[in-house]
Amino acid sequence: MSLNPATLDKKEFGSFLKQVMQTYDVIAPVELAEGVSAYRKIESPEEISLASHNTQKSAKEAFFPQSEVMFRYEKEGNRTQVTSTEEVNRPRLILASRPCDIQAFSLLDKVFSAKEYTDVYFLKKREKTTIVGFACNDPLSTCFCTSTGGGPFTREGSDIFLVDLGDAYLVEFLTEKGKALSQNEFLREASEGDVARAKKLEEEASKRMNVPVPLDGIETKLDQMLENPFWDRIHEKCLGCGACTFLCPTCHCFDISDEASQKGGQRVRNWDTCLFSLYSMETSGHNPRPSGRERTRQRLMHKFNYFPKNFQKIACVGCGRCILYCPVNFDIRQVISEINEK
Amino acid sequence: MKNPYLPIPMVVKRTQVETADRMLRTLELGFLKEEDEKAFRFVPGQFCELSLFGKGEAPFGIASSPTEKGSLKFTINKAGTVTTALHQITEGQEMGIRGPLGNSYPIELFQGKNVLVIGGGFAFTTLRSLIIYLLQPENRSKVKDITVIYGARNPGLLLYKEELADWQKRSDMKLVVTVDAGDKDWKGKVGLVPNVLEEVGPASENTYAVICGPPIMIKFTFPKLMTLKFPNERIYTSLEKRMKCGIGKCGRCNIGHLYVCKDGPVFSYEQLGKLPKDY
Amino acid sequence: MMASSQEMVQQKIREKAKELLANKEVDLVIGFGEGSLPLRATPLFVRTPEEADRLVWNSFCDNNLATYIHKLSRFKLGIVAKGCDVRSILALALEKRFQPDRIVLIGVPCQRMVDRRKVKKAVKGEILRAREEGDQLIVEGNDFSISLKKEDYLYASCKACTHRNPIKANAVVGDQVDETPLTDSYAEAKEFEKMSPEERWNTFERESSRCIRCYACREACPMCYCAECFVDSSGPKWLEKGLAPSDLEFYHIVRAYHQTGRCTGCGACERACPMNIRLTYMTQKLNQEVKELFNFEAGTDPETLPPMATYNVEDKQEFIK
Repeated sequence: MSLNPATLDKKEFGSFLKQVMQTYDVIAPVELAEGVSAYRKIESPEEISLASHNTQKSAKEAFFPQSEVMFRYEKEGNRTQVTSTEEVNRPRLILASRPCDIQAFSLLDKVFSAKEYTDVYFLKKREKTTIVGFACNDPLSTCFCTSTGGGPFTREGSDIFLVDLGDAYLVEFLTEKGKALSQNEFLREASEGDVARAKKLEEEASKRMNVPVPLDGIETKLDQMLENPFWDRIHEKCLGCGACTFLCPTCHCFDISDEASQKGGQRVRNWDTCLFSLYSMETSGHNPRPSGRERTRQRLMHKFNYFPKNFQKIACVGCGRCILYCPVNFDIRQVISEINEK
Repeated sequence: MKNPYLPIPMVVKRTQVETADRMLRTLELGFLKEEDEKAFRFVPGQFCELSLFGKGEAPFGIASSPTEKGSLKFTINKAGTVTTALHQITEGQEMGIRGPLGNSYPIELFQGKNVLVIGGGFAFTTLRSLIIYLLQPENRSKVKDITVIYGARNPGLLLYKEELADWQKRSDMKLVVTVDAGDKDWKGKVGLVPNVLEEVGPASENTYAVICGPPIMIKFTFPKLMTLKFPNERIYTSLEKRMKCGIGKCGRCNIGHLYVCKDGPVFSYEQLGKLPKDY
Repeated sequence: MMASSQEMVQQKIREKAKELLANKEVDLVIGFGEGSLPLRATPLFVRTPEEADRLVWNSFCDNNLATYIHKLSRFKLGIVAKGCDVRSILALALEKRFQPDRIVLIGVPCQRMVDRRKVKKAVKGEILRAREEGDQLIVEGNDFSISLKKEDYLYASCKACTHRNPIKANAVVGDQVDETPLTDSYAEAKEFEKMSPEERWNTFERESSRCIRCYACREACPMCYCAECFVDSSGPKWLEKGLAPSDLEFYHIVRAYHQTGRCTGCGACERACPMNIRLTYMTQKLNQEVKELFNFEAGTDPETLPPMATYNVEDKQEFIK
């Protein structure tokens, strides 16, 4: 039984959300400084910022926080009491996640819920979260989601999908989780005009995505390029910082460390990046990836060759954040074109 | 959903210094909960993440064999923060382990074949597990000849001296222990492992080789295996790489598309030939 | 600086690079190439005279290329360096980070760099194209095209700069520029000083709270080159790796202090930060203190050793209470 879409007037947005927040913890884009935003749990709808461009830090944080306590421990003599922090108490809702970030969730699913071991921290959040997707009316010139199997209006992965019509949102209910919000009193049934307007916006957005990035067959291309001299030059300007990795919706490397105090402490996981020089440094002093050449190769191979080998999809959703925010203008589109020409 | 990051509570039953330089110490750990002990099933080659709350975790090959019931043994090289703390831990103290993790030596493939084990230095830990397992009567009958070559820099650095003495006396295996340099009490062989291998000259036909040692030893021993005509698909090794989660999620220990913690640490050289030299 | 002379500088850079490479005086030249986004240039590593034709010079060449010296000191390098970058290189020379005869400085008197974040705020919508025309910046998007006065959109660190001309260089490509800064050379520090301690703390806390520990600031900085940065030390472990506010604040304060007497005010750190965190106000304040206490500015004199690395019996002590 599929539900007809609804319309939510923007002036009712706050009231709509207040009602949602009675049941759900809402995670939405919040402006941290002018032009800088990230997903945060909000206390009131006024905190939300739905700028026309995407957030710097992706919505991946909602399932895989940058810094996450895994368990707490308390020592009493020789004994240690361990308490896991995996439980999710209230249902959650991610508001206004872009289709690229949502596509990334399904890629992260493959890593975190691989057959043998289930990452309970990620999965428990996933199970208890309703995802409200948000269409991109104005894709940026750096967006290439259509080259990675997505698109500015791709609904896959969303429980509810919003389209910004100007003074209202079109609200589509796509799954059972999404339908649970359809009884909200601030929604009214969408008119044919609303639906038509959304369709028109979708067509216009698609037209803007007209510069494809040649990703077809890149896994096979890279199979032959493991020791190609290409890697000797491509890494040169990379500073080896973590900007691209920490903003990337699909990167999932993490470090685990214990934060200890006198009688107890916690085990925490924090994001890490294979681009840091000490990432693969071993205690003996041996570093299997001693220079930027090996590290840049690792990152690119992982995204476009190793991950596809394991999970049949490339680990990139074309969000363009790495292009926008790299301090030295390392442009992955140029690298992919170069690989394609080899 | 089982949380794979929560350690199994263990108690330290015994700690023993293995080497003269005191850098290698074996911990014997017992399970605190009976149901954990019952559920813990492992095969030689697998490893555990040893967990010291407040210090962190580090991966160690299981040195005891699944046939040695009641406890697990790990041999720790003192090198950094966690290992130094593991050297200081005392009997009766509680700690944690996560495991068994990783894959194992391909025991099923050894059936009806000869097994050649080559170990160097303190890489011998999981080889101890393998040898004791194979020597168990019901397993010994399934394998043909067992040859073990084990070398260390000097006699004081040999691990598991008691086991080595026992194995020397056995007639169902051949053990050659060698050192790079002897001392005044050493009556055994003196010679580098690759040269001793050449001397022993085991037949490669129908034989599987398992080799674990420091990179320098592997570098010079591997060509000797080639000369003896061992094919890559019958040479296995256990790799080490910096690890964190141990379950293939944190991304750190990958070699190409494979993870040392999940698809390894045991790899054949045929597999390694297709992967980047990322180790 | 007129656009035509900017093209002349670009031409001279290319010629110099070609000359150095052809004569094998250097193994590679580090300069700037065309960026893939509007308002950007990108570091370019050139090894043959043919490749040298890809070198560019414009008001978007805002990276400090001196940071690449540490990874490449085994090569003979030619480096395109603005006034501030030259200062960094001189400071690094005093810290013995490279053999002096292994680096050829192609010094460029700097026209001041355009702050693309400021330009972005001046328009509505994505900037698709930008070009310089004399003292104007023409910026275009899907439904706008405006002309901005470049001088209104410069980096604060550039407006405060007092060493736009390379203090020392093997070759200077371009005419000397007027060293009068457009603002007080310690403008940000003075703004900060006007604040009460509580306001200062609030500023610092607010800015550092956005930090994502990516260390773009550290990697972009030519003076940060420790093989093991204090944040990565595990014995002793000075701070954790997460986002606890105290850890974020600790990182930023200590990194700023590690720059004392070494920072040349190039602004690379702030430009690199993906979260637009303000950073130069801290280092500028420290630079101001060093100037007042020791009459020293990093990288302005190839001979004088940095005060934090030297000891003299006559050193002032009245600030030690």
